[in-house]
Amino acid sequence: MKPLRNGNVIHDEPPRKRFQEDFESTPLYIAVVTYINYGIMIVFGFLRDFLRRHGFEKTHASTEASDMKDFVPLYASFESFYTRNIYNRIQDVFNRPICSVPGPVIDIVERQFSKSGWMFEYTGKVLKNVVNLGSYNYLGFAENDGPCAEASIESIEKYGVGVCSSRKEMGNLDIHVKLEKKMAEYLDVEACLTFGMGFATNSMNIPCLVSKGCLIISDGLNHASLVLGCRLSGAQIRVFKHNDMKDLESKLRDAVVYGQPRTHRPWKKILIIVEGVYSMEGSIVNLPGILELKKKYKAYVFLDEAHSIGALGSRGRGVTEYFGIHPREVDIMMGTFTKSFGAAGGYIAGSRALVEHLRYHSHSACYATSMSPPVCEQIITSLHIISSTDEGKRRIKQLADNCRMFRQGLKKLGNIVYGNDDSPVVPAMIYAPTKLGAFSREMLKRGFGVVVVGFPATPIAESRVRFCISAALTEQQLQDALDAISDISDLLQMKYSKKKIA
Amino acid sequence: FQAPLYHYIVEGLLVVWIIRLLFFKSYKIHDKVPLTTKEKDELIEDWEPEPLVPPLEETRAVSKPYRVVSGQPGKEIVVDGYKCKNFASLNFLGFVENERISKAATECVSKYGVGSCGPRGFYGSFDVHLELEKRIAKFTGTECAIIYSYGFATIASAIPSYSKRGDILYVDEACCFAIQKGVQASRSNVVYFKHNDMEDLESKLRHQEMLDKKDVKKSSVTRKFMVVEGIYMNTGEICDLPRLVDLKYKYKVRLFVEESLSFGVLGQHGRGVTEHYNIPVEKVDMMCGSMEYSLASTGGFCCGREYVIDHQRLTGLGYVFSASLPPLLACAAIEAIDIMEEE
Repeated sequence: MKPLRNGNVIHDEPPRKRFQEDFESTPLYIAVVTYINYGIMIVFGFLRDFLRRHGFEKTHASTEASDMKDFVPLYASFESFYTRNIYNRIQDVFNRPICSVPGPVIDIVERQFSKSGWMFEYTGKVLKNVVNLGSYNYLGFAENDGPCAEASIESIEKYGVGVCSSRKEMGNLDIHVKLEKKMAEYLDVEACLTFGMGFATNSMNIPCLVSKGCLIISDGLNHASLVLGCRLSGAQIRVFKHNDMKDLESKLRDAVVYGQPRTHRPWKKILIIVEGVYSMEGSIVNLPGILELKKKYKAYVFLDEAHSIGALGSRGRGVTEYFGIHPREVDIMMGTFTKSFGAAGGYIAGSRALVEHLRYHSHSACYATSMSPPVCEQIITSLHIISSTDEGKRRIKQLADNCRMFRQGLKKLGNIVYGNDDSPVVPAMIYAPTKLGAFSREMLKRGFGVVVVGFPATPIAESRVRFCISAALTEQQLQDALDAISDISDLLQMKYSKKKIA
Repeated sequence: FQAPLYHYIVEGLLVVWIIRLLFFKSYKIHDKVPLTTKEKDELIEDWEPEPLVPPLEETRAVSKPYRVVSGQPGKEIVVDGYKCKNFASLNFLGFVENERISKAATECVSKYGVGSCGPRGFYGSFDVHLELEKRIAKFTGTECAIIYSYGFATIASAIPSYSKRGDILYVDEACCFAIQKGVQASRSNVVYFKHNDMEDLESKLRHQEMLDKKDVKKSSVTRKFMVVEGIYMNTGEICDLPRLVDLKYKYKVRLFVEESLSFGVLGQHGRGVTEHYNIPVEKVDMMCGSMEYSLASTGGFCCGREYVIDHQRLTGLGYVFSASLPPLLACAAIEAIDIMEEE
């Protein structure tokens, strides 16, 4: 493929021929055992609720104020059933507070939970040097010293910490203009617009692009911020099966041919919303397939690169670089700065017309305050390191090597691992809700901090542990982690995979 | 009494027919007219969508380019090269240029770095977040507080986590945009009352009470909320809190007060509109505030009784699905609260 040149950026990656994704299906007996697990917990839940309601057991939960007892109850009792009975038992696994920089090793503040799981207190001790396999620190920019931190400190002295005004009023500082220019150059698009929060970027800007009379076709596993943005826009929403091009094509065909439901008027616009890397599955979007369909059916594509910017591609430019596609082919590219750049906030990049339209119409730009200056400075410095220095190249390569090594290691152990071989998110399946708590606690005892996820972030019978690889982790730390996982998997009998890897 | 054989056969066939009608899909006059592939391809070729955004010249003709501010947006500000006195930023207590806050934030960067790299549930909770929540709860006199990483997202995530489809929200006509988005996301029934007009609100509540008496079963599960602002962002008026608290107990409606602008401004110590009117803060179900105006940091908080606030830790969308506040901004807010308490 001839290298495309646009400005100073050369896009010369060969288009990927291998698309290696893996979703091994659940063995039947595991599914049955998992449902039996849930069944027993639900029965016990009903029993304890009954006892609590009739006063046989003490309730430790907080209650309504005494002068408001005759108001309509604030929560329906069955809504919080799951929280009270199932979530409470493994509460110590979530919301672990830390007191150090969220780098490759962290210090966790220890909490002691009461036997029933309702109350906890801080023991005052700190668990030091726990290897961090949970934070989104893909390129290792969560550092408290080095060029990024120094630049942030300088900018605090120059600008202060707060900007008490929105972009449209007095909040547009020269540092924001500089950041947007640099981001547009890095991504090789015409212009870019930044916002203070990644979640708000999606939920406040999708309503500006589509409205009633338009159609949104979104992937089934999209993030909550995208779902909220689609709902707030008022457009019709249709969902296609995760990464399934045939399903997407049939939905697009039906949409264009039959038009709006009942009136059969043609749609004003069709927008396809996908993510670069899906954080719960570890899969990468099939971007060449989507762009082919987009051209055929004249739809627009919104790509959310929250996890893939900085992590995929040889220069960290995301999914477009990974597949060797020119970024101008994607209409709207959105991303966040939280994961690979070690800061906070989000951006939307695309053509100049798009960015000017959003500048004028976006709800975030008109009503919400702009990004804080030290955070902007952190992004500018880390962007400079990633795009122009050898240190950046080293980190990207380290991340890719770490991912491959960890994923292959985990597969060799015999665990079921979902997702694409190249994605920095590695989910391994646990299935049973009871094993979630055990796995996390055992890993913490051995000095590793992991993230376990269950319902409602995942389907009810598919709880998993999700490892986030970082370029700051050394090979030795990953190898130790694999040994610990192997021990615990034997203990909990988690090696479900039937595939034989040499 | 024996029926003839054909009777049983007819009965049997009728039963089979009933089962078929119940369980098999019947032929509907569907709105998908069968088309040939060639016709479909032609329709696809003919369809022209609207452009994604209006062309550049149209947008530029109506919008003004942003003003660029160089340097610190403090009391004196340099806009587009002109030095001016700043009457536009919402920098109420002048904390933007405060030295102590900058120093505290600098120390925080040297300890924690800049970003928090994770949501609150997955190693994104820092001890400074927990400290800030405790300090805000202590300062406002409530039991518990919860921190969001963006002021806009605070009220826009708090309202939909309590109020669902079928519930009723009484909202002021001139409420700010974040409340409008929260109300839209909650899918509840909204009743707008005239701006700061307590008579209008009372008449609407009385009307609803009449409807409730007719349908007691439904009204015993319908939650009702009133959402007001301390100082309205669109008009600058202060809400009539004593009257609202009376209405709350009279008509059994919960009260949420959104104090983005009034926190740090009203009341002798800056505790907001409850201190201004001398009302105990427990009478308000939930108080939402923003750290972006008086405290010159970023983010927002909700405080109230633990029974009310703890729910948001699992159902507030902007809390669960978003990265937490960068630690340096939390440190700056703690220092700002310290200064507010001392001076």
